[in-house]
Amino acid sequence: MASGWVERVSAFCGSPSRFLCGTSSEVFLAELLRELRDDRANYNVKVLLLSPLCEYPALLCPSDSVGEETALELMSIFAQSPPKFVHFRSQLLVALTCVLTCSPDASSRLRAFPDFLDLLLQLAQDTSDLHGDAAQRSLRATACDCLREMEVLYPGLLSQRLELLGALRHQETSRLHQAYAGLQTLVLRNVVYLLTGEKEAGAVHLKALLGGNESVGWEADQNLGAASGKNSTPLSSVILTPMGTIPTLHTGPDCKELRSVLSSLLEESYLFTPLSQAERLYRLTEVVAMVPAIPPTIFRAQLLRLLGTSEVSLLHTTLLMKSAFTDSLFSSEDEAFLLKRLVVLSQHPLLSAPEKLFYMDCILHFPENRPISCGDSDEALPVLLTPRLASALLPVVFNDSATLLARFNLLSLVYLEAGEEEDGRGLEYLYDHLTSLLRIVESGGKRESIVTLFRAAFLFLFHFHHVERYCDNLSQQLCQLYLQHTRFAPHLINLANQTQEKLPDSPWAFGLLKALQRVISQTPLSQVTRHDLSWHLKVLTRAAEEGEMSQHATLRFLSGVITPSSLSWSADWRLGNGILGVCRRLLVHPSLDSILIPLADVLQHLAGHYGDTDIRDHARLYYTLLTTLSREKLATVLAHHAEGGQQVKKRTLSCLMTEGEGLTSILTIHETEAAIFRLIETHWEQPEAEDLIQDETERGEADLETYRAQFGDAAFASQVTLKFLLTHTETRDARFDQLFSIRLHFSLTDDHYSELQDLSVPCLFRERPPPVVALTLKPKQPYPTSLHVSAIFTTQDGLTWHTTLPDIHVCFQQIFLPLPAPSSWGRTGRQAVFAGLWEEISGETEECASSLFCCRLEEEALSALVEKHFLPFLVSDPAHKDQFRVLLFLPPQSHVLLKISSEEDAVHFNIATDSWQLLPHINDYLLEITAS
Amino acid sequence: MSLRALWIISPEKGEHASIRFSRRFATVELRAKRLAGSSYVAVPEDDCFLQLLLTELGLSGSKQPFVVKRDDCLYRPRSPAVELHVTGAGKGTLWPVLAISQAPLILACLPLVDASPEQRPPLSSLLSVSQGLSFLAGLQTFLLAPGSKQDGEGLVSRLALLPSVLLQVCPLGTPLELPLSGTLATPSAPTSAGIQKQPAWRTGLHRGRAVVNVSVAETVRSMQYGNRSRQDLWDVYGTVACKCEVEGVLPNVTVTLSLPPNGSPLQDILVHPCVTSLDSSVLTASSVDSCDGSAFSGPYKFPFSPPLEPFILCSYTSQVPVPPILGSYQLKEEESQLHVSVVLKLHESVKNSFEYCEAHLPFYNRDQMGVVDVKVSSGQLDVSKEKNLLVWALGQKFPKSREVTMEGKILFSGTAPGPSEPLCTGLTAYIKLYFKVPDTTLSGCSVDQHSVQVYSSAKPRIVTSRELHSKDYRIWNSTGTAPVSSGQMIL
Repeated sequence: MASGWVERVSAFCGSPSRFLCGTSSEVFLAELLRELRDDRANYNVKVLLLSPLCEYPALLCPSDSVGEETALELMSIFAQSPPKFVHFRSQLLVALTCVLTCSPDASSRLRAFPDFLDLLLQLAQDTSDLHGDAAQRSLRATACDCLREMEVLYPGLLSQRLELLGALRHQETSRLHQAYAGLQTLVLRNVVYLLTGEKEAGAVHLKALLGGNESVGWEADQNLGAASGKNSTPLSSVILTPMGTIPTLHTGPDCKELRSVLSSLLEESYLFTPLSQAERLYRLTEVVAMVPAIPPTIFRAQLLRLLGTSEVSLLHTTLLMKSAFTDSLFSSEDEAFLLKRLVVLSQHPLLSAPEKLFYMDCILHFPENRPISCGDSDEALPVLLTPRLASALLPVVFNDSATLLARFNLLSLVYLEAGEEEDGRGLEYLYDHLTSLLRIVESGGKRESIVTLFRAAFLFLFHFHHVERYCDNLSQQLCQLYLQHTRFAPHLINLANQTQEKLPDSPWAFGLLKALQRVISQTPLSQVTRHDLSWHLKVLTRAAEEGEMSQHATLRFLSGVITPSSLSWSADWRLGNGILGVCRRLLVHPSLDSILIPLADVLQHLAGHYGDTDIRDHARLYYTLLTTLSREKLATVLAHHAEGGQQVKKRTLSCLMTEGEGLTSILTIHETEAAIFRLIETHWEQPEAEDLIQDETERGEADLETYRAQFGDAAFASQVTLKFLLTHTETRDARFDQLFSIRLHFSLTDDHYSELQDLSVPCLFRERPPPVVALTLKPKQPYPTSLHVSAIFTTQDGLTWHTTLPDIHVCFQQIFLPLPAPSSWGRTGRQAVFAGLWEEISGETEECASSLFCCRLEEEALSALVEKHFLPFLVSDPAHKDQFRVLLFLPPQSHVLLKISSEEDAVHFNIATDSWQLLPHINDYLLEITAS
Repeated sequence: MSLRALWIISPEKGEHASIRFSRRFATVELRAKRLAGSSYVAVPEDDCFLQLLLTELGLSGSKQPFVVKRDDCLYRPRSPAVELHVTGAGKGTLWPVLAISQAPLILACLPLVDASPEQRPPLSSLLSVSQGLSFLAGLQTFLLAPGSKQDGEGLVSRLALLPSVLLQVCPLGTPLELPLSGTLATPSAPTSAGIQKQPAWRTGLHRGRAVVNVSVAETVRSMQYGNRSRQDLWDVYGTVACKCEVEGVLPNVTVTLSLPPNGSPLQDILVHPCVTSLDSSVLTASSVDSCDGSAFSGPYKFPFSPPLEPFILCSYTSQVPVPPILGSYQLKEEESQLHVSVVLKLHESVKNSFEYCEAHLPFYNRDQMGVVDVKVSSGQLDVSKEKNLLVWALGQKFPKSREVTMEGKILFSGTAPGPSEPLCTGLTAYIKLYFKVPDTTLSGCSVDQHSVQVYSSAKPRIVTSRELHSKDYRIWNSTGTAPVSSGQMIL
């Protein structure tokens, strides 16, 4: 049992959507709560059971009412759980916090909220553990953290308790004082924040709140509490708000109370763990930033300790303090020191790589006292970072790739900034470094070093594309590298693409491609392997996209490749396809006129002699196009349309063959933004009431055994068929007006049904009547269910799409079938089955159950109701109005029998069923039909 | 300052990676949703997250040589924070995902961005990022702490402890402290209700004999080229580790580091957060500054109140005038064999008493070694099993002359090719030295037993120690080209 829960909970937390396919959130929640209530269950398992509620409260409690019920349930479990299970009780508090705060409608607080808040405050104040069990203290700590989180989510919630929290912190000598201090700091920050909106009254209120003087009736709960909910501003950091927009609270020079609270919190900050300390200091920085009457120098005493720290979060807080207070707290010496410190830390042998990289990021965003550039450019170097200072961070080949690139980027910026002042040796160093990376890759580096080389090359080009002598040399070196390792072709093409895109004015990419074209065409074909050749063709294809580049060399190479004497490799489809790819680009090249003849020769040769029929065919097509169409027409025919191109051309093979952009979009399944169509139930028709053959003409023995024997065939009466109309949704999008080859896929949301078959619909046009879709369900248990529906279809332009349809809901009555008795039986036979079943059900206990449902109905209303809802299932004669007998069959083998009669006070529905799990559904159904 | 979610991943062989533990913090997620408004991107489910992260870290699809998503040359800082592009239903960019990896685990978390969603703030303006980094590093230490059990089992049992550990250190997504490695912090005997407040980082009280243990460990790194145009490099850094078993809620201890009369000042001093106060002069010397002779050179006083567990009180770097061992390495290619000549000299200021001292001579991008005809003046020479490495064990002492030599020829006539290494092609080769010298430091830094002050009633036993060891101590072949290992020295 216990182990089963471990697996289920981890399955749920790993992928709730997959887990809930097999059950529903309601059922799972109910199961969790039942197990939590169970006194026999192991408490270690119970702790585990709370994790779904902590991680996915909104999924398990999708409405406020469910949230409310769950919270009440958990509160009662908390009240009943023995105090010794501290761990469980603590986790329970966490779960309650999550459930109560994450209700889907954030603006309304659940009714259990105040009770839970009281409970937390009571636990937080309960110092009876002082001399006793230390474990109990951890419950108090958790309660404090829950309060902290609630104050974060509902700023101002605890504003009236500010003085209480101060007192608790003051008294506490165990480690817990940290928890109180955290809470007090946060509440203080929120109070100050919310009071900044109060003009003059703010100062008085603050004084009152700090002094616990409630007689100065500031209705915090109304004013502050209301600020909670959807407003996100109190949640964002004050320091991160743009300069000059920090809200301020004008207290006048006299704010002794606040000052004394701040100093005492600061004095004790040393006693906190570094993580908590950093947060406290940050919150206090926010407070001081908002209250101009408090000078930032209040932090001065802590500063030296913080500047020397080895803790990343503490030094970071110091930097954030600097960005908030600049020269009102940090002198220019401090600034210089801090920057040097960051440089040291960015390459300190004892720190981890992520920490060092973080410090390097801090250098790039160093909060200067007097920033020169006020622009909000992403990365700006501090003025104090001289090339000399930065030289400690020069990249070397021993660096890991992230460090290497970060350093390369930083130093590039430094040398770019230094410009003329610097004698060029720095730049030379960076280039040499790039060369040594290249050497390493040349002698067989791993994939990571290859990627690093190309990233470093991009960085270099990005910053120094104007320094021709290096850039030209880099092109040459890359060409040499390519000849040795042709598999780097995609990297080189990628580099060319990116530099072209990011540096549209730089001719570097063009130069690289031209150089590559040259080295490829100059390589003797006898030295080219089959493997090299396919990469060469890729590079040439890319080079052929450059309109300004002469393509003669490419054509010479191509004609060399297809000459039989040089063709030492097999002339297969792939190779041919590669060649055609280049040709296709050449067909639309601006200089087509000058290369017409050699291109035609290549195509003609391919069409006549190539070893693969398919390639020959396509070469012939290209040849014909080239020789018969005018240039303009040719361009139109072959123009590759970007995304969402028009009409049938998309699907022309010429496009497919040659990896035009069309290919990717044709082979990709696109996802629709919204639902395009949906399934609407056709007006639900009840099965026809059969015209029953009258008694005497019956053939065959009508008894239960014969009836049951039919089920020997597993397929017998096991299916329900539902009919739907497939229609467009209201959202109009002309692209989707005519759809073809629609394949509907249904997936189950529970395991009560067998997997469903996909359905195909040939087409769907907006203006035509909607097609009817028949969906066959095969229940394992005949319960109501929902189905997810998705579809794949094709649009007119040949693209394939995937879309999601609104869910289908299958209600209980849709699964009803009339008694599947042999067709030869008449009413008597059916009545016999009814009687037999009724008797069995009344006698047996196991799965069977009987029940009674009563309601007030006039006799006529009853007849109408039976007529409307039960006619096909009626076993008794409809004329006999004193008692109706109804038999509902639910596949695969369940029966619900109803004897409906008007008694003196009410209509009685006597229910008998051989599957007791159906009772709640029957009850719901009867309630529904009798209410209307 | 809070985390939205946390993951612990085993990246075993890329394709078989799995999530060993994950935790989402629902209330922080709610805050993220409110803060980001319409640009909110939900945390994807585990499988989806795993795929995205592995691709971004370049750990997936090892069979494909080039995947644009993974190998694009466009530079984006990918560490310590990566961005993940979630596709499908809740599409958008998830940022900043922090990931740190140390075999056999990758730890990742998603800190909350507490700023308005209009513009992405720089990483360095988010306190939650440094908090996240510390927290992940703390978790890593906790999970991978050397345990008594076999490595695999230790990890499994620690992972099993994680839910209860998180309940203590980060119940609702805001990290309060780091998990203590070793045992779960079960608070010891209740503390006396005195006036002094117990620091939150001190988990209990020590009872029993007072012992203070201070050990200074220095590491020396070096790159020697034996080349006039290329300056040899070496640097030294040290850590002062303490274990203090002293009574009291907030005991006071002071450790003083001192240098010999003409020692060069300790630089880049970083201190543990338990140090109560610092003199500004202690922090002045920096390795990136021009050294000036008048700099403060001690004694360095560190008053602190110790935690219960062992900790690093402080660390420093130092510039010493000479490397402890100066080497020269020369290779000459003679037909199919290599002529090897090595000289190692121990500097006279260094104590000639090693715990161990070994020189390793690896040979890459060649066949296996066949005939090894090499003589050494001292110590013992071995050929590794793989036949691509010479191991020269120098033992505990250099000879009186403080100089040892190796001379001879190696024929690479083995049947199989040896390992390859893209850095060491042609005559580019190195010797790597491994040594440890007890009871000495290169900087001369020491802690005198009598300088350790403990303000407590019982007189504590004080133990101090020193040691020096090498790391990345390489001597490059002077006849080949050696890679640059510090740009600073070149410029």
